[in-house]
Amino acid sequence: MKKVIAREKLPELWKSLAAKGPLFLPIQEGPVVLFQPWSEGAEANLDAVNTAVSAKDVFLPREETYLQYRCSGNQLELIPVENAEPVIAFGVHPCDLKAVEMLDKVYLDQEPSDELYRQRREKTTVVGLSCREPDPFCFCNEFGINPADAPGADVMAHLKNGLVLLEARTDKGKALLDQAGDLLQDGSDEKFEAAEVKTADFGLNLEGLPENLKERFEDPVWDELYKSCLGCGVCTYVCPTCYCFDVEDFGHEGEGQRFRCWDSCMYGHFTDMAGGHNPRAGRKERVRQRFMHKLQYYPETFNEIACVGCGRCLRSCPVNLDIVQAIKALGGETVEQR
Amino acid sequence: MSSANVLMPQQATILDITEETPDIKTLRVVGKEGMPFDFMPGQCAMLSVPPVGEAIFSITSSPTCRECLEFSIKDVGNVSGALHGLQPGQQIGIRGPYGNGFPIEKMKGKDILFIGGGIGLAPLRSLIGYCFAHREEFGHIDIVYGARSPADLIRKSEVRESWAAEPDTSVYLTVDAEFPDWNGHVGFVPNYVSELAFKPEGRIALTCGPPIMIKFVLQALDKLQFSPEQVITTLEMRMKCGVGKCGRCNLGSVYVCKDGPVFSLDELNALPSEY
Repeated sequence: MKKVIAREKLPELWKSLAAKGPLFLPIQEGPVVLFQPWSEGAEANLDAVNTAVSAKDVFLPREETYLQYRCSGNQLELIPVENAEPVIAFGVHPCDLKAVEMLDKVYLDQEPSDELYRQRREKTTVVGLSCREPDPFCFCNEFGINPADAPGADVMAHLKNGLVLLEARTDKGKALLDQAGDLLQDGSDEKFEAAEVKTADFGLNLEGLPENLKERFEDPVWDELYKSCLGCGVCTYVCPTCYCFDVEDFGHEGEGQRFRCWDSCMYGHFTDMAGGHNPRAGRKERVRQRFMHKLQYYPETFNEIACVGCGRCLRSCPVNLDIVQAIKALGGETVEQR
Repeated sequence: MSSANVLMPQQATILDITEETPDIKTLRVVGKEGMPFDFMPGQCAMLSVPPVGEAIFSITSSPTCRECLEFSIKDVGNVSGALHGLQPGQQIGIRGPYGNGFPIEKMKGKDILFIGGGIGLAPLRSLIGYCFAHREEFGHIDIVYGARSPADLIRKSEVRESWAAEPDTSVYLTVDAEFPDWNGHVGFVPNYVSELAFKPEGRIALTCGPPIMIKFVLQALDKLQFSPEQVITTLEMRMKCGVGKCGRCNLGSVYVCKDGPVFSLDELNALPSEY
C-alpha cells in the first residue's frame, strides 16, 4: 500500500494519529531535536537527521514502573502495573531502527524474554524515515546500513519535493495508513526510490575486529584509552544500542512502586557490591567494559557489532572518547588512512 | 499481564529466623502455596523488601527439602540489612530461580571435596544436602569448613553432628586463630586443605568463601595436582535482573546471573578476570 501527503498537511496527520494514542516524533526543543510524544503546537522536525537522544525510549523507557506494593503489618501486596498502550513512532531513521533490532536480540530472542519490552514493541507501529543527506557525524554505511531504507519499519516514509511518500510494509503499517483515511492520497504511481546516501568515511576497518579483541582484555591500550573519560555517562544515554537498566523502589514503608530505569556501565555504583567490592572499580575497567561490550562481547553472542554509526557519541562526548576513536585505538583503522 | 514479567516477584512469607553468627541469619521462606519454585543446588533467588529494594541470594536449603527455601544471609548491605530487621510472619517478595547450579552430572560417581569459608558455606550447603539425599550417586564426601572465629561458623550443630554422622563422610572444621572455647583445628582454610593433602584422582573439589580464601584454595588445589576441570566455584556479583539483561554481572560475554554463578576453574580461566 502506497500513499502520499503534502508536507504542509502533516500537522493534520499528526492530529489524527495522536487522537488514538501517543505519537512519537522528532520534536524541536530549542536547539535540540528529541524523540517525544507530539501534542498540538509542537514543532515536528523531519529534516533533522538524528535526534539528540535515540528513539530507544519508545521501547525501553527511561523509567518504567512495573509494580506497586502495599505493606501493612506483616502483609505485603505486590500488584503488577500494566503500561504498554498502542504507540506510533513516526520518523525513525534506519540507524535507530537497526539498533532496536539489536535490542530485540537481548530482550526478546534471549530467554527468558522481557515482557515489558515485548509489549511495547508489539504495540508500537514504526514509521521509518529515510535520510536524504547525512550529518557530518553519521557513519552508518560502515555497518552495512542503507540510510535510504529501514527494513523492519511498518511504514517506510520518504520526503520528496514537498511530499511525504508512505509505503505500508506490514499489517500494522496498513492499519496505520487506513486510520489516516482521506488525509492520504493514493501514491501507487509515485516512485519510491530514495537517492543513495554516503555517510562519512572515518577510515575504519571492522573486519575481524571482534575476534581480534577477544585476546585483548589485558592489552596496554586500555591503560591509555580511558584516561580522558570523565565518567559522565552521556555516551550510554544517547546510544541507541545501550540497554542496561537499574531496578529501584520508590515510596515509603506503607506503599510505593518499583521501577526500572536506564543505567550506565560508566558509573561506579553500577557494579558496586554490598560489602564494598567492585569488580569494575575504576574508569579504565568501565571504559573497557563499554567498548568491549559493543565490539567484542555483543558480537560474540549475536554476530554483529553493537554500533549503528548514528554518530551520537561523537557529537556528545565532551572529551571525544567516542566509538570511532576507540575502534581506531584498538586497531580498526584502514592502513591507507594512517 | 498477558505473559509473565520476569522482574515481577511473588509474595512469600518468612517462617522463622535463626541467628547463626553475630552478622548472619538463616531465613526460612515459603510462597503462597508452599515452595515458591523448584530449583537445583547452586541457584539463587531475588528477595525483595520494599522500599529498600531487591537483591540476589544463594539458596542454602537442598532441593530435597520440600517445605521451604532457606537463605543464610550476612548483613552487609541495604537489602541484607533490611532482611535482618524482619520478624517471622513478615511477607517479602521473591523471584527465581536464577543461574545454572552445580554440575551434578559431572560429580556423579566421584569423591566430593567441599571447601567453604564463612558465609561461603551457604551455596555449598544446598549441594551437600542434595548429595546426602542421593548418597549412592557420590563417593566419599569431605567437607572442610572454616571461619575467622568459632562464633562465625554457621550451621554449627548441623555440620558437627548431622553431617559428620553421615556415612562415608569426613568433616574438618577450622578457625583462623586460637580461641579459649575452641579445641579444634586452628589455621586458614587453604592451609588446612594443603595439610589434609587430598588426592585429585576421581575427585571433584567445590569451593566458596571470601575472594581471598578462594584465591589461596585454588593455589592449594593446584599444588595438590587438581586440574582446573576438577575445581568448581561459585561467584557473586551485583545483579538487578537475574536474567542476563541489566548488564552488570558479565565476565566478557558470559553473564554470572544466567550462565553462572557456578563455574569450573577451566571455564573461569577462559574469561576476563573481572570479578
